[in-house]
Amino acid sequence: MSAIVCSHVDKAYGATTVIRDLNLSIEEHEFVVFLGPSGCGKSTLLRMLAGLEDISGGEVSIGGKVVNDLDPGDRGIAMVFQNYALYPHMTIFDNIAFGLRRQKVPAPEIDKRVRAVAATLGLDPYLGRKPAELSGGQQQRVAIARAMIKTPKVFLFDEPLSNLDAKLRNHMRVEIARLHQSLKTTTVYVTHDQLEAMTLADRIVLLKDGVIEQIGSPAEIYGRPANIFVAGFIGTPNMNFIEVTVARSGNGWTLTGAGTALSIDGAGFHLQPGGRAVLGIRPPDLKTARDGDAGILQGTADLIEFHGNDALVTFGSGGKEISALVPARECPVLHAPVRYMFEEANIHLFDATSGASLRQQ
Amino acid sequence: MPRRSSLPVTFVVPTLVILLILSMVPTLYAIIIALQNRELSSTAYSWVWFSNFFDLFSDRRFLNAVWVSVKWEVVTVVATMVVAIGLGVLMFEVASQRLRNVYCLLFIIPVLLPRVSAAFVWKFAYHPLYGIATYPYRLLTGGLIFDPLSKPSTALFAVASVDVWQWGLFFAVIVLKLLETLPPQPIEAARLDHAKRWQIHAYVTLPMLKAPLVSLMFVKMIESLRSFDLIYVMTRGGPGVATETLDMYAFSQGFIESGKVSYASAMAVLMMIATVITFTMLWKRVQA
Ligand SMILES: Nc1ncnc2c1ncn2[C@@H]1O[C@H](COP(=O)(O)OP(=O)(O)OP(=O)(O)O)[C@@H](O)[C@H]1O
Ligand SMILES: [Mg+2]
Repeated sequence: MSAIVCSHVDKAYGATTVIRDLNLSIEEHEFVVFLGPSGCGKSTLLRMLAGLEDISGGEVSIGGKVVNDLDPGDRGIAMVFQNYALYPHMTIFDNIAFGLRRQKVPAPEIDKRVRAVAATLGLDPYLGRKPAELSGGQQQRVAIARAMIKTPKVFLFDEPLSNLDAKLRNHMRVEIARLHQSLKTTTVYVTHDQLEAMTLADRIVLLKDGVIEQIGSPAEIYGRPANIFVAGFIGTPNMNFIEVTVARSGNGWTLTGAGTALSIDGAGFHLQPGGRAVLGIRPPDLKTARDGDAGILQGTADLIEFHGNDALVTFGSGGKEISALVPARECPVLHAPVRYMFEEANIHLFDATSGASLRQQ
Repeated sequence: MPRRSSLPVTFVVPTLVILLILSMVPTLYAIIIALQNRELSSTAYSWVWFSNFFDLFSDRRFLNAVWVSVKWEVVTVVATMVVAIGLGVLMFEVASQRLRNVYCLLFIIPVLLPRVSAAFVWKFAYHPLYGIATYPYRLLTGGLIFDPLSKPSTALFAVASVDVWQWGLFFAVIVLKLLETLPPQPIEAARLDHAKRWQIHAYVTLPMLKAPLVSLMFVKMIESLRSFDLIYVMTRGGPGVATETLDMYAFSQGFIESGKVSYASAMAVLMMIATVITFTMLWKRVQA
């Protein structure tokens, strides 16, 4: 049975529609990440699941029960907020215990459960302190403890790590992953950080302007992006896009654009002779070319960004900026001529007008 | 750098000295008079030291005035805070943004009214025959007379209600604005934590606003001490001595009934000492 089902969900603030006819089903024990650019409606959708925002149209059910009109407290969910949202005047113990007290759980049991949760998250030493006396990471752990203690059917996280510094963020990310492994609670997690999405998710839901662009495992989203938006959004450094004209040549196809003509086999793609398409290649998929290689992009290196192990080489080819991520030892000098090749298995082709992938399913 | 530091001193010191003189001279003068036996009717006086104070403690009317003052202070402060928090929370919960603005405007008007005007308006509203505030009573009882200002048991509360009408409504606006400044997330977290609407306020929002609410209460406590004009217009301390606060009694001893200025000054000095001690202790308690 699905843990969460959204069918034809809409959300409008007055005249502006923020979520449009959204359909989504989340399985039990799944870790789903909502990913998308700022303002695409991730938080709104999550808050609709939580019951903090009312649903303008459609139906949301959690655990098989329609929750459209249920109070947030009665939906069997727990939420962790970006800015922790702890009760500043209460001790950590009281913060964690607040929900249980409202449900009139007997005091000895509250004490036992708070201590158990605090032990899991390493919060024992801080139970008597106020939130202001903890670091950001510790406060976020308290927020997670407060959510955990309710043993909810679903965990909701709204960018829980974005207020933390990079190092702590990595640490907490691992902690959340470990927590999900042991608790197996269905989790919906909002982020705009790709790395978090890629590492944590069983499935990623990629949103743009309140519409789902693609749903899939991290590998699917990275390897088989459904359209140009997804391809451009996922992966750092960003994918190169080259507008090309498609022509038949013998058994294969020729793609002409950005000052070169590239021959490909074309199997696996829906191509139209004379059509226009967009060729996508990720910078790490461009390799330094040797003589005799086919499918060559060449130009002069304009910009070299050194990353440590790798270097990002940006070169102009036919008026188009293209980047290649190459091992640092193959890094050319600035303004030197460079030649890169790619393997056909690594390219993406999209329809020039609709942006949809031309890959055969 | 003496030159640099002398400039601010040059500007600040004269002002401070003037302020100090303005506040200290009357105070010292009141203390000196309290130790003498001056009366308005003659210029002769002698030093009687503390006998005015001893007389006060055997004066039943003075003790009554102390009790009325304490009652007045407690009733007005508690009622104002209850009304302010109750109305503030109610507006926060049920009123839309536009309605809130309308209410805020309406609720600020009473406090803008000069106290004496407010007192006259309500004195007439409490009129047993024509008053709008007593109209429901006349309607329900078929024309029976109810005069809250001339019954000893209700007079104090009737006057206090005017004070609360002025300050409770104004403070309700402040409480609403305070609630609006709170971050929404703890409130949302409390909703997810199974808290009912009233529990959210009882356990989350009002405790978060403890410091400003306590400050508001202090403002009201100090304000309630200065109720002379209101009581003077509405009841003149009556009926009998039912609403005679310390300042009313001091005034009537000093200027109306007997012209015993020194006796009145002794009362003023006692009030000052009691106020300073009470407020210092309360302030310490709250800070702790
Ligand atoms: N109360 C509101 N009234 C009107 N529009 C709103 C309201 N709240 C949000 N929006 C709009 O809804 C859209 C989605 O907002 P939302 O907060 O869900 O974005 P988000 O995807 O979480 O972005 P971010 O990554 O920046 O948090 C935004 O365009 C925003 O302007
Ligand atoms: Mg957001």
